[in-house]
Amino acid sequence: MSFTSLPFLGLVAGAVLLYYLLPKKIQWAVLLAVSMAFYAIGGGKTIGYVFYTALTVYISGLLLGHFHEKKRRAPKEERKAVAAKYKTHRRAVVAFACLANFVLLYVLKYWNFTADLLQPLADQGGVTLPLSELVLPLGVSFFMFQSVGYVIDVYRDKYLPERNFFKLLLFVSFFPQMVQGPISRFDALGPQLLAQRKLDFDDLKYGIQLAMWGYFKKLVIADRAAVLVNTVMGDPWSHGGGVLAFTILLYCIQLYGDFSGGIDITRGTARLFGIDLAENFRRPVFSTSLTDFWRRWHITLGAWMRDYLFYPLSLSKPFSRLGKFTRRHIKGKLGKIIPTSLATFIIYFVIGIWHGANWRYVAFGFWNGAIITASLLLAPRFAAWKAALHIDDKAPLWRLFQMVRTNVLVFFGRYITRAPRLLTAVWMVKQTFRAPQLHQLFDGTLLTLGLTGGDFLLLFLGVAVLLGAEWHQEKRGEIRLALETKPPVVQWLAILVPLVVLFCFGVLRADYISSDFIYKQF
Amino acid sequence: MLEKLLELLTEAVPGIDFEKETALVDDELLESLDIVTIVSEIKDLFDVEITVDDLVPENFNSLRAMADLIEARMA
Repeated sequence: MSFTSLPFLGLVAGAVLLYYLLPKKIQWAVLLAVSMAFYAIGGGKTIGYVFYTALTVYISGLLLGHFHEKKRRAPKEERKAVAAKYKTHRRAVVAFACLANFVLLYVLKYWNFTADLLQPLADQGGVTLPLSELVLPLGVSFFMFQSVGYVIDVYRDKYLPERNFFKLLLFVSFFPQMVQGPISRFDALGPQLLAQRKLDFDDLKYGIQLAMWGYFKKLVIADRAAVLVNTVMGDPWSHGGGVLAFTILLYCIQLYGDFSGGIDITRGTARLFGIDLAENFRRPVFSTSLTDFWRRWHITLGAWMRDYLFYPLSLSKPFSRLGKFTRRHIKGKLGKIIPTSLATFIIYFVIGIWHGANWRYVAFGFWNGAIITASLLLAPRFAAWKAALHIDDKAPLWRLFQMVRTNVLVFFGRYITRAPRLLTAVWMVKQTFRAPQLHQLFDGTLLTLGLTGGDFLLLFLGVAVLLGAEWHQEKRGEIRLALETKPPVVQWLAILVPLVVLFCFGVLRADYISSDFIYKQF
Repeated sequence: MLEKLLELLTEAVPGIDFEKETALVDDELLESLDIVTIVSEIKDLFDVEITVDDLVPENFNSLRAMADLIEARMA
């Protein structure tokens, strides 16, 4: 069930009615029932995977809670000894939760890619590697990461485990975030899901406003840009380098409108139930470095990688040993930052392949990892250059340069993820520089790629509104809060005007079919 | 110890007034890369064990908080 379909709107409207009309005690059960219905309609039989993940993390949580209780009940002077006694058991439980979920995720998402790679070797032994025919469950990477995060947090004694399976199942399967996240934390989301609420019109208003903004980004901007992007990428070899570069630029816009728009719809929908989901985007176009970009883009995935992979990896014994070795043998700052740089490279590489099993995502991970690692290693050199050139870090022109530089790096990274194949991406970059054929951008060629002049105008206006709004948010804070000081008529107009815009210029037009959310496939 | 720590921090992450700032992580003056760099320096200089569980904003928001963490781990 797509967020952009009428049945989804019907489901949400029905859920809101039931949520506030039925007794408060069972509000969480309403959310669970709606979540199950949403998944059963959208994911069909793959709903079994949701139960599987919920069950593995439920059992893991209970076991960890059991060991925690043993420590808590021990006399004060014996607690350390008790904790040491169960350390291995607790680690085994976390390992079980990780393996039970990530091995399955590997089989579902990456096995066929691995099998293709290994088949030539297997051929020598006369073996044919079996391929998986399992259907990728809806939102699998999101709910598995979120659930494993819960177990690790319980292991780290951040909070106690949830003892009611169905309440934990709701955390795993809360329907607005099943399509493309965000990846929530139990201590932030769990209590909100289980809270008992009265109807608050502010929640409804904010929720609708946020969802409308998301629909605007998705239906007016992203889906319009998608028409040209899909046309050109269906046959990139027939186009000049200028058209290809313009297409990738539109793809950047499409991807941002699609993913951040989808997240706004998700967060807006959750807000209708009084639930604040984690922020997943913070105006990435204003990033001043690639690291900054990843702090602003898909924030919850970055935070997950930081807390559950980067920190443990960086502080692990092998990395500590590597640090001692490099400090001894390589003088200066370089010797100190090599382990951190290596861990950073690994994290960005993992973020790349998190997107899927494909050489393009491997290359995407490598692209981000290599640039960020190089910038870390070269930081002392850059600092010296900046000092020599008397560059002030806070000067607006310098910041503008940093933003342009970052967006250019992101732009070239998108060649990799959008091209049909990795080698095609390399060819497209070459074509951009070797045969730009810039005249194609002005001679009407663009009007033969699925969009009319009116569409281009709407796209341009849509992006201008988006950038203007983000500029306002970046410099002056939330527009929603600024709206609060305006009369109610203005506040309602802020909902009604975008609604009219959506009906007039969104994908409800007969000649467009709303495309699926891009991140749904991950 | 505070002086040694201040020197370590200023060298590891230049350009931050560690004596004044009290929300280094919350205000995003320190990011995860800085924190890991600082932790490895602290482990090396003070010979203390800092684990993943210690990597929470409260322990790195200020010079004092970091000093408290080191003292707690030395005890």
